[in-house]
Amino acid sequence: MPEVQPKQKRKTDIGPPHYEKFLPPIIKENYGKWKYHEVLKPGVMVTVSETGARLYTVRAGSPRLLSIDKIRAYADLADKYCNGYLRFTSRHNVEFLLTDESKIDPLIRALDALGHPVGGMANSISSIVHTQGWVHCHSSATDASGVVKAVMDDLILYFTEMKLPAKLRIALACCLNMCGAVHCSDIAILGIHRRPPKVNRDRLKATCEIPSVVSACPTAAVRPVTVDGQPSVEVIEERCMFCANCFTVCPAMPINDPLNDGVSIWVGGKVSNARSEPMFSKLAIPFIPNNPPRWPEVVEAVRNLVEVWARNARKYERMGEWINRIGWPRFFEMTGIPFEKVHIDDFKHAGTTFKRSTHLTY
Amino acid sequence: MAEQVTVQEVSDAMYKMIKDSMGQKKWKATDLTKAVTELFGDRCNKDLTKAAIRDLIENGKCVYTYFGGSFIEIPHREGAEN
Amino acid sequence: MAEKKRSTPQLDELEKGSWPSFVKEIKTAAEKNPMANDLLGQLERSYEDKISHWKHGGIVGVLGYGGGIIGRYSDLPEEFPNVSHFHTIRINQPAGWFYTSDVLRKLCDIWEKHGSGLTNMHGSTGDLVFLGTKTDELEPTFNELTDLGFDLGGSGSDVRTPSCCCGMARCEWACYDTMALTYFLTMHYQDELHRPAFPYKWKFKMSGCPNDCVAAIARSDMSIIGTWRDDIQVDEAAVTEYAKSGVDIQKDVVGNCPAKCMEWDGKKIKIDNKACVKCMHCINAMPKALAPGKDRGACILIGAKAPIVEGALLSSVLIPFIKLVPPYKELTDLVEKIHELWAENGKNRERVGEFIQRIGMGNFLEAIGVEPTPEMVAHPRENPYVFYEEYFEEDSEDNKNA
Ligand code: HEM
Ligand code: HEM
Ligand code: HEM
Ligand code: HEM
Ligand code: SF4
Ligand code: SF4
Ligand code: SF4
Ligand code: SF4
Repeated sequence: MPEVQPKQKRKTDIGPPHYEKFLPPIIKENYGKWKYHEVLKPGVMVTVSETGARLYTVRAGSPRLLSIDKIRAYADLADKYCNGYLRFTSRHNVEFLLTDESKIDPLIRALDALGHPVGGMANSISSIVHTQGWVHCHSSATDASGVVKAVMDDLILYFTEMKLPAKLRIALACCLNMCGAVHCSDIAILGIHRRPPKVNRDRLKATCEIPSVVSACPTAAVRPVTVDGQPSVEVIEERCMFCANCFTVCPAMPINDPLNDGVSIWVGGKVSNARSEPMFSKLAIPFIPNNPPRWPEVVEAVRNLVEVWARNARKYERMGEWINRIGWPRFFEMTGIPFEKVHIDDFKHAGTTFKRSTHLTY
Repeated sequence: MAEQVTVQEVSDAMYKMIKDSMGQKKWKATDLTKAVTELFGDRCNKDLTKAAIRDLIENGKCVYTYFGGSFIEIPHREGAEN
Repeated sequence: MAEKKRSTPQLDELEKGSWPSFVKEIKTAAEKNPMANDLLGQLERSYEDKISHWKHGGIVGVLGYGGGIIGRYSDLPEEFPNVSHFHTIRINQPAGWFYTSDVLRKLCDIWEKHGSGLTNMHGSTGDLVFLGTKTDELEPTFNELTDLGFDLGGSGSDVRTPSCCCGMARCEWACYDTMALTYFLTMHYQDELHRPAFPYKWKFKMSGCPNDCVAAIARSDMSIIGTWRDDIQVDEAAVTEYAKSGVDIQKDVVGNCPAKCMEWDGKKIKIDNKACVKCMHCINAMPKALAPGKDRGACILIGAKAPIVEGALLSSVLIPFIKLVPPYKELTDLVEKIHELWAENGKNRERVGEFIQRIGMGNFLEAIGVEPTPEMVAHPRENPYVFYEEYFEEDSEDNKNA
């Protein structure tokens, strides 16, 4: 490790810059005084203050993975249309903060020219919250950016229009660690491993500490053993839930398996408290094999779910609220998804997920 | 009231624990805190253990590592780098 | 650059279509940057092999910090030498993700000099992510970042970078100042953020109202969600406007009220505010006419986590209502009690939600000195196996008055 140069005093624990430095004057003046907002058209919203001040927000989609060239292009747009003020959202969108209404349409055209569609507000599909995948993570069971790109190419009209019964939130996580907000999404795309790690004994000896590998496993599936007089480990396969924690600690225990890794799809979660309480997503499609570069089967499955919901849900009804109204048997029937053994939970409190009444439709 | 130990004594004790069990056990900050508290009893306190860990790290004797959780270890070349 | 362009037939397919393409972003960076070029090559290989080619690295970091850097090595270093190390830097974002063009350009300049030229705006915890560089570049990047006034975010068993909705900056429904609280907590817990000292990670997320735009209830160990205690503010004239403009108030607004506490007689809206569960639906439906009440604060919930290790949890109510105003002493006192208890008794990799399940919510409340209230449960227990700790003894003084 390079020694610290004594000439320059190293700063630590300064924290992030104070947000006030980056707020446009209209926000500073009206902070906490906003009265109402109105979505004017797809991706454009006005927020009106009690003082009468009007702040316009233009929201555009992004792939989250951005080059510095693109960030500089955003900065140029912000300079040109809104005095250099912009922000990002929890779903990776970029938002420009305008005070001059006449600049909205020119900005939208400029964003279109740059390849970034404006939309994602109100009753639309916003950008897909997602994780790293093959771009940067060792434990991914699928790519993230590629699946997201293919799905959004297909659904882009739902981003740029507001014709859905309610909001629809999609998220993707490339393994069970779930580094993005997936488990509470209307539609969740989740990468899954289906085979336990394979132990490479020679590499293990050279690169890993056995006690660390053993203690890394949350289900105690990894056990120390002696093979040919050499210390090693074995995996009790029935115990493994394919979480890849052992692989994180020890590169000699690869879990990735091109043949068996793939994608599962979950539905009906929400985080907002509006109307119904927050809900987890539930399993709809247990497994779709990876089919890069464009994962057509996943794209098709997601489109089917969106369309069946959009045709049948009532106004304001999120995916989960719609399913709760019609019941799961009808959901499987309407979407044409086969119901299988793996749909039935068999973990700790599985019993609470069984149907414990005769409230059924026929 | 027993006399307090010094930061140096605490950090030396921690360093010895980490060194003696290298390859056998990984220590978390909380494990080290508990172990030295057991060792020194009420001659030690939370501010001292915190300062001792900081001393170990900032003098480069130990580093934080991450293997599914954060640990404090003596610097070494890791498997994945090879 | 002398680097030869990579042939990427699979990834080229992902330049097609009208959604913005991450492949184009990587290619743009690759024109000038050899790391980005090798990333492109390795990613194409992953598309061919249907497998990730990264190895986890757990030791790299900047001096003195235990968080903020995600170590990563290629498992094909001979073929892709420029990404043989490719570590990610998490940078603590400004609260609410507001920036100026000026500061974004300066951040880009740093990353042009020291890394791949690729970023995530933003990672899913909220950090600004600089995606990929070599071990030797970490310290210089860190020094330039602190000169610009930025610091690293959390990773590992520490306080993770707190994040929040834009709150009062742009939303009329914010029931407390989410950005101010986020900045306060981030600064208050700098040591805990940079020097991992917990059994596992700890996340704070702040949403200004029950719409919960940052998904606090699903993603944070402590979820702080704005709400109110008094009556919904009603602007009668604006309600009439909505009715005139064609909103079906009976069906769409009243009909969807989960508490069944609204009535509409065709002219006036009547709300039984005692029964209202503050779900936001009617306010969302008629933002010009209705608004949260004036006695505003937040509900504090605890314990959300993803499925690893013991199964996923949503946060549950800990403090039904709290006023959140500086210096937030009541809140930090509470957090400190929880941290102390969990740091002392939590097992390795046990999130606070799992810890509570293991020791029991009742025991947890007792240990941190919070009185149990019915707001904390969906319903009282159904199972009759109660572990009674108190009972009467024969001839004891106590049961004379019992
Ligand atoms: C003044 C009104 C509001 C403002 C300023 C606002 C702002 C935002 C922003 C900026 C985001 C990130 C959005 C994105 O990138 O697509 C967001 C997300 C979200 N908002 Fe809102 N919102 C408002 C009203 C609502 C309402 C009325 C609801 C629900 C009925 C809602 C529910 C959500 C949800 C569920 C998310 C996604 C959270 C997640 O999964 O990350 N918001 N909101
Ligand atoms: C449908 C399958 C699921 C997927 C794809 C999924 C994915 C995710 C992801 C990506 C996160 C990280 C959120 C972030 O910080 O950005 C997450 C967090 C979480 N998930 Fe899930 N999840 C799923 C199922 C579940 C289930 C069944 C539960 C509970 C029963 C659950 C509970 C949680 C909780 C409580 C968190 C908070 C995370 C934390 O901060 O640790 N999830 N999930
Ligand atoms: C034991 C469980 C987990 C493990 C082993 C794990 C592991 C990882 C790894 C290895 C990365 C690095 C990805 C990369 O940049 O290469 C990562 C990134 C990340 N993780 Fe996790 N993770 C876990 C759970 C979670 C949970 C529960 C959350 C959130 C609730 C989360 C949030 C994140 C975020 C925000 C990133 C940044 C990268 C991104 O935004 O895609 N992680 N995690
Ligand atoms: C809070 C704890 C419980 C209470 C207050 C409770 C109370 C009752 C009451 C009032 C009845 C109706 C008796 C009657 O109508 O004659 C009943 C019936 C019954 N209880 Fe419980 N019970 C409890 C727990 C349990 C448990 C834990 C079990 C078994 C594991 C159980 C098994 C039964 C059975 C089998 C019946 C007869 C059911 C029937 O006639 O349909 N109860 N219980
Ligand atoms: S979800 Fe899994 S594979 Fe994806 S970034 Fe997180 S840890 Fe890596
Ligand atoms: S993948 Fe997870 S459950 Fe399976 S052996 Fe490895 S650590 Fe254990
Ligand atoms: S959580 Fe509530 S206060 Fe915050 S932005 Fe969303 S709607 Fe507004
Ligand atoms: S906020 Fe929700 S519960 Fe309260 S009156 Fe409105 S719709 Fe009903």
